[in-house]
Amino acid sequence: MAKNDLQGTLDLLVLKTLSQTGRLHGYGIVVHIQRASDELLSVEEGSLYPALHRMEQSGWIASEWALTETNRRAKYYRLSPAGRKHLLETEKDFESLVKGVRAILRYA
Amino acid sequence: MSLIRRISNLFSRARVDREIDDELGSHIELRIEDNISAGMTAGEARRDALLRFGNRASTKEKVAGMDAALALDSLWSDIRFALRQMVRNPGFTVTVIFTLALSIGANTAIFSIVNALMLKSLPYPQPERMGAIFARITGGDPFDGPTWIDGSQWEGLRDNVPSLISAVSSGMASGVNLQAGQRIQYLHAGRISAHYLDVLGIHPAAGRNFTETEDLPHGPKSAILSYGLWRTTFGADRNLLGQSILLKGEPYTVVGILSEGATTPLNADIYTALQPSRNGEGGGTNYAVITRLKDGATWQQADAELNRAWAAWAEGRAKRHPGSQVTYYSVSLKQGQSAELRPKALVLMLAAGFILLIACANLAGLTLVRMVRRASEVATRLALGASRWQIQKQLWLENLVLALAGGLAGLGVGFAALHGLLSLIPEGFLPVSNVPLDGRVLAFTLLVSVMTSVLFGMLPAFATRKVDLRSSMASRAVAGGDRLRLRQAMIAGEVALTVVLLAGAGLLIRTLVHLQTLPPGFNAAGVMTAKASLDDVRYHDPAVFNKLLDSSIFAMKRIPGVANAAVGLTLPYERALNDSVTLHDGQEAGQEVGTDEVYVSPGYFDTLQIPLLQGRDFSGADRPNTQPVAIVNRTFAQKFFHGANPVGRTLNKGLVIVGVVGDIQLSSGLNPVAPLESEETIYVPAAQMNPQMLTLVHVWFQPSWIVRTAGPVEGLTAEMQRALASADPGLPFSGFYSMNELQAETLSTQRIEVALLSAMAGLALLLSTVGIFALVANMVAQRAREIGIRIALGSTVRQAMVHVAGTGVRASAVGLVLGLVLCMGALRAMRSVLYGVDVYDTTTIVSVVLALAAVTLLAASIPVLRIARINPATTLRDE
Repeated sequence: MAKNDLQGTLDLLVLKTLSQTGRLHGYGIVVHIQRASDELLSVEEGSLYPALHRMEQSGWIASEWALTETNRRAKYYRLSPAGRKHLLETEKDFESLVKGVRAILRYA
Repeated sequence: MSLIRRISNLFSRARVDREIDDELGSHIELRIEDNISAGMTAGEARRDALLRFGNRASTKEKVAGMDAALALDSLWSDIRFALRQMVRNPGFTVTVIFTLALSIGANTAIFSIVNALMLKSLPYPQPERMGAIFARITGGDPFDGPTWIDGSQWEGLRDNVPSLISAVSSGMASGVNLQAGQRIQYLHAGRISAHYLDVLGIHPAAGRNFTETEDLPHGPKSAILSYGLWRTTFGADRNLLGQSILLKGEPYTVVGILSEGATTPLNADIYTALQPSRNGEGGGTNYAVITRLKDGATWQQADAELNRAWAAWAEGRAKRHPGSQVTYYSVSLKQGQSAELRPKALVLMLAAGFILLIACANLAGLTLVRMVRRASEVATRLALGASRWQIQKQLWLENLVLALAGGLAGLGVGFAALHGLLSLIPEGFLPVSNVPLDGRVLAFTLLVSVMTSVLFGMLPAFATRKVDLRSSMASRAVAGGDRLRLRQAMIAGEVALTVVLLAGAGLLIRTLVHLQTLPPGFNAAGVMTAKASLDDVRYHDPAVFNKLLDSSIFAMKRIPGVANAAVGLTLPYERALNDSVTLHDGQEAGQEVGTDEVYVSPGYFDTLQIPLLQGRDFSGADRPNTQPVAIVNRTFAQKFFHGANPVGRTLNKGLVIVGVVGDIQLSSGLNPVAPLESEETIYVPAAQMNPQMLTLVHVWFQPSWIVRTAGPVEGLTAEMQRALASADPGLPFSGFYSMNELQAETLSTQRIEVALLSAMAGLALLLSTVGIFALVANMVAQRAREIGIRIALGSTVRQAMVHVAGTGVRASAVGLVLGLVLCMGALRAMRSVLYGVDVYDTTTIVSVVLALAAVTLLAASIPVLRIARINPATTLRDE
């Protein structure tokens, strides 16, 4: 049985984004998720930043301060090896969650 | 995040805050940039960015909360908040800390003693393998406790109990004289058998323990010195081993010197070989046993072997006491040493626990009131988004900080109290050399502090769970009836406990007064006594002994102001020698009975003014070669002659009774019922003591020289010493005692009990008074408005006062009744320590009721005086 919580979904989105883009700051993650999902998903800042810090505490992501293309200081996050492993697990969990939900929807 | 950064975060909340701020700020700036490049004006771009971000402060808090390392930091800020709260309410804080300091202090002091007596291991290697022997007697006169043994039991134990290494000793140190150079020094000597130090696991720093040969009767005379004696008297002379020293008037070879800090249960300056045998002192149960379990053996084995080894002895005992059975068993040496003090220590611990409960009830009341006052603050914080968990956490933390502060103060109070307590206890009263405030005591105090905070924090914390946002903020909350009843119940509870403590202390005081005012049977005023050790080879000869008495008494009578002088083996209030005599008359004819026996010089009864009831006193004409005579006391005459005149009758073989004297109070030894009583006693002339008996009694007892003076005599003790020196220049007095001092010494247990329990009862009464006062004072403060209305509606000030004070008085009255009911059960446990006073003593109960009524009225009436100053107009306008 997979861990089917929706909180895990935000983690999944963030980790996937970081795995695709290498390293990114919080704002970049919001924008990326919005674009990549064709504006279907929008991440709230009030949830994103606590999640980023929580994942950093868990050791899934690491952070560093760096300059943006517009020479602005921002905190960049990137995936750690532990985070990469966690991402794989979360992806699998999510697949089974989606399969499960689909099955139920079809049944109904 | 690196570990170092996490730790450094702990110390700079500000830096972490700034970093989060920067991160969120950069997010907004990046959005603004994008907005502008999408074509918005600068103003629109900023507004949109801020709007989309939402509540920045709340997000920041959430982010900070995610930082696990910061949880500690927030705890620290909570503690700082708690400290600020404490400073803001100095009255509350001081009351709480003061209450805690007293109650925790009492607990710390008592626990230190319990710890030293019962928990701390003995200062010997593998103390759990060390034992003492207890006897359990069933049927007849039941008994369960430590037992002393005689010479034949010792042989059985030594030879037939292979599971134990056993040793015996004289049980307590006795006084001896040591001559070193020209100086004669009075010392405490312990007499120990071979292997005694082996049982304790003590190896002398130099030399060796006593050998089995040295422990045989009439074996070589050898001595082992304590480190202290070796240092002070012999100047740490390394060549002392093997040399001889002059002890008890004859040479002893030094065979060992103990290492620094090595102590024994006897706590003596010098040790000599006990040389136990079946004769002399070994004919009676005069040896104290200690044992050590051998490797591989069990206590069960040892007990089985022990009962087998002593089977014959137990049978003999069963014949003398038909229907009575005795079995022996080992207990740990620790338990054996503290057997008598253990129940007393536990009772004191219980009393200290009562104090703590009383304090908790007071503190719960105080914090409850404070919570009601803070209800609007709590409501405001709830409204601003604090979770109930956060509020609870904060409240518990405040309690804990208070309790720990109180605990710290309590530790100080406890230390001072313990110091005072130990100065009250005579030396040698406790079977332990010191009572430390060690880690266990500190842990106990910490635990008590935390427990207290839980106890007194519980009620208020539950009360706030019901804080209703709207009503609390809208109105000034009026104390609900529930809460008042709760506080009254707590006051009633603490008053009930106080009543039990007061009654207990009262009964002990009455016991002490009873014992102190018993008719002594002699005239104690103007009597001074002095003891000297005659455990000396020179005084084994009765002729030399008699010459010493005659000439020293003669010299003392010549001291100006001295009316009379005499010598006796023991004095009133002291424990006398227990001996047995054979009766020749009445139903008990031919029977051997136990009695106290005292040798006295002629003039002993005159000097102490003990009345001669029948017959004659001893005189100088009672000499070793004349008819052996004895004087019995009234109890002896009544017990064994049943009212017939004993004068002219005989005891033993031809010991003729020539007189009967009145009873005196002495420390009981035969069949102890009370600490002071008159026991059957026979007096014999010192001049007629036989040599064996004389040698034997002087090993245990130091005789007393007694002088009676008309008034206070300057330098009396120096004169007495000079008079003794004129008879024997080498004989020092070991100490001078007035009769009051002897009485106080005998009653020291009772005095200590009274002092301790009275102090606790007083503390309980103080705390209860404070509790009642606080309840009523708080009622006055909270109900000023209601009272104002009542007065405005025509109630008199007096009625209002009675109404408010009534809450405290009623609570106290309920507590009093409850306490008296509790007393009926609880005080019965005290029966064994009460003398001359019944458990349900009317005087005590009436005193308790009156004392409680007085302080209740006082505590309830002082705060209501404020009501007189309430102006109805002002309170009403205040709305």
